[in-house]
Amino acid sequence: MGQSRREFLKSTVGAPVLLSLGGAVPTFLARAAGAAKTENRTDRVLVVVQLSGGNDGLNTVAPYADDVYARKRSTLRLRSNDVLKIDDYVGFHPRMKGLSRLLKDGQLAIVQGIGCPGSDRSHPGAMRNWHTAQPNDPRCPTGWIGRTIDYASCKAQANTPGVFVGPIARPFALTAQNAIVPSIRSARQLTLRGKGAPSKRRTSDNPLENHVRNAIRGAHATSRRIRGLLADASRSGSYPSQGLGPHLKTVAELIAADVGIRIFFTELGGGGIGGFDNHAIQRDNHAALLGHLSASLAAFAADLSARKCLDRVALMTFSEFGRTLTENGRKGTGHGNAAPCFLMGSKVRAGLIGKHPPLTDLDNDAPRFHTDFRRLYATVLTGWLGLDSKPVLGADFKPLDLFVT
Amino acid sequence: MSSELQTRPWQRYEPSARCPWNLTRAAHLWRRAGFAATWEQLQTSLKAGPQKTIDTLLHPKGDVAAFNRTCDNYTRTVGSSEALRAWWLRRMIQTPHPLLEKMTLFWHDFFSVSAARGAGASQMREHVALLRAGAMGRFGSLMTAVSGDIATLLSLETKAIRKAKPDEALARHLLARYTLGAGAYTDKDVRETARAMTGWFVLRNQRRYFEREHDAGVKTVLGKTGKFNYADVVKIASEHPATARNIVRKLYRWFISEADEPTDALLAPLTESFARDFDVARLVETILRSNLFFSTGAIGRRIKRPVEFAVGIIRSLEASAGTTRLAADLASLGENLYYPPTGNGWAGGRYWINHATVIGRNNLAASLLSASGPYGGRCDPAAIALRHGQADAKAAGRFLASLLGGHDDEAFKRLWKDQPRGGSLSDRLRKFAYTLVTQPEFQLA
Repeated sequence: MGQSRREFLKSTVGAPVLLSLGGAVPTFLARAAGAAKTENRTDRVLVVVQLSGGNDGLNTVAPYADDVYARKRSTLRLRSNDVLKIDDYVGFHPRMKGLSRLLKDGQLAIVQGIGCPGSDRSHPGAMRNWHTAQPNDPRCPTGWIGRTIDYASCKAQANTPGVFVGPIARPFALTAQNAIVPSIRSARQLTLRGKGAPSKRRTSDNPLENHVRNAIRGAHATSRRIRGLLADASRSGSYPSQGLGPHLKTVAELIAADVGIRIFFTELGGGGIGGFDNHAIQRDNHAALLGHLSASLAAFAADLSARKCLDRVALMTFSEFGRTLTENGRKGTGHGNAAPCFLMGSKVRAGLIGKHPPLTDLDNDAPRFHTDFRRLYATVLTGWLGLDSKPVLGADFKPLDLFVT
Repeated sequence: MSSELQTRPWQRYEPSARCPWNLTRAAHLWRRAGFAATWEQLQTSLKAGPQKTIDTLLHPKGDVAAFNRTCDNYTRTVGSSEALRAWWLRRMIQTPHPLLEKMTLFWHDFFSVSAARGAGASQMREHVALLRAGAMGRFGSLMTAVSGDIATLLSLETKAIRKAKPDEALARHLLARYTLGAGAYTDKDVRETARAMTGWFVLRNQRRYFEREHDAGVKTVLGKTGKFNYADVVKIASEHPATARNIVRKLYRWFISEADEPTDALLAPLTESFARDFDVARLVETILRSNLFFSTGAIGRRIKRPVEFAVGIIRSLEASAGTTRLAADLASLGENLYYPPTGNGWAGGRYWINHATVIGRNNLAASLLSASGPYGGRCDPAAIALRHGQADAKAAGRFLASLLGGHDDEAFKRLWKDQPRGGSLSDRLRKFAYTLVTQPEFQLA
């Protein structure tokens, strides 16, 4: 088990990202090396959950006590006796019992007022910004996760640092220049079907052959670990049987198998009807989605805890935008901007983070963001994975204080 | 490296005791200049010698024009780039001129035009047809065609290049990726090139020119001065000596080695010669016929692309496969034809191989070679062995080891002794072929 963690340390240290750091290299090396000894930072895993379609933040973490909210949402509003109260101003949607429980258990941060500057509020444009993390460059060729994977891929180790789990086309966030980022639907897809053992260890004078030999040994080890883990049917968790549930179950299995994947990306609501884009008759569809999200995340946390992996994992959610405050004539909402993001894990600083954007100062009928989404990215890259976020984000974004040390 | 190689790397290869013409070299030639050989092609090549084999690869006997016409006719009504992928794979599997498809793939990687950013199936089909038509011609003609091609412009997200808003990103891409290569030009060259390219718009997927939006002033680009337009700067960049160096370097990586970075001195004879006429066919011919190409510095010094891996198995086994499924499987291994990952092509080399893609390659091989399943058992190693006169299990195994791995007898015995006994001959040989194509050596091109 320790082997792949050591590979990870090597991969972090050997990554090309260091070349672009200039003077910062020694500090980074010292920190990464020190971290491995003390707290095993190189074990850590990030799970990103995309909520496709533009999730209505205002009915996810609802400002139930706000008169403006009450007035503008005549049929969709959640009242004080509906919500699962967080404080005397906001509360969870009533279907989010799982997340409410995680908050009480100190495993959930609700990061409020996150958004993207200059959003055009179109699905492709806004999603592309969240995916590239380069809102000023519409031609940006790679995604932020893809770039992170490029930096974290170790040429010598042939590891697979990141995967997409889900049935839809791989989101652009995972587009890398160099690394091949797999899309999978189940952990079994990362196991070998044919029989055979890797050939004996041998060193060639051909560096490419050595690389292939290493990768084949790694592939057999990966397959063996996942097979071993899947053979233990006693742990199945209590995930919802459709949608995000099985994806997160796959993620949990791959985390527990410890095969060196550090970044998982998965998704809810994309690939057809029934997503978060509720322009009309929003209430029931949105409630079902939030209930599903909450139950899936709660099952994931419980499963990781049972597998004794929870301490290694942080999960964040995002959506391409929030929605407008004013309910439209069709009992739905329009495209907005700011919304809350969730950050889940046993090491997160739990609770409400940042102020709820005031509903008296709106941007074209939507809450204004006060925290650039790239600060959240910087937080998970630096504060959690221990990577320098600047080469990924192209500039320094100050991480938020979201993890307990 | 022998002294012959040091002094005359680009001279014609003549077999010698030290560097004999054998199965290894014949298979190497067919892998690089195509997608692997059948047993018969290998045997013919061994008799004919390297230079005559290269003659055949450059000018195949079959009616290539008729074959391509037939394929073009089939794809005329194809409605999606996903379907086009399947047709291209079918062409690669069946073509009488594999070198042409290999070079078309080279240019697809080079220009890296993707269907992901707006180009439809008909535009992508026309684009790859341009690449095929110009694959072995003069680079300048190919560059002129590609730079005005609608799929290229859509892929580069070119919309309106106004006089007041020259597209420097497009100009930079032209110079850095398509012609001179990174670092061979200045920021001023980029700005002036962008000015020359003004006036061109993409409207309703058509390329349109508006005189009033063209900057008609004098520009200085790469040391030349004049009232240049779009076509002028494409021509100036295409004919620049740095462009010859850039393309030679990329073809070195394509045909000779991904394991080392060649020195300018090593490439100088090719670069100087190519810069005279930019004749791609002559350059490719020089590379294929060279001492260096047949040296140990080239053999096995590339990693097979997913396409080379799969099409190689299918061609060697004289088989066919459902290419719609195959295209999707190859995409998951990192090579999604018509959808290169970024404008800079596939990183390739070592990047093709990681833990997940090794598992993917093995599982694809298992599917292709299985008696049933999605590929329907059409790759049948026992049938090929029998066709070439090997009916006995061990003899057939030895034959396959030779065909699929170039393994000598000792290597064959080592692999064969670990194989499970029992079961039908067909089954045993399917399993053995799986073992052969999942060996580390088989991943090398």
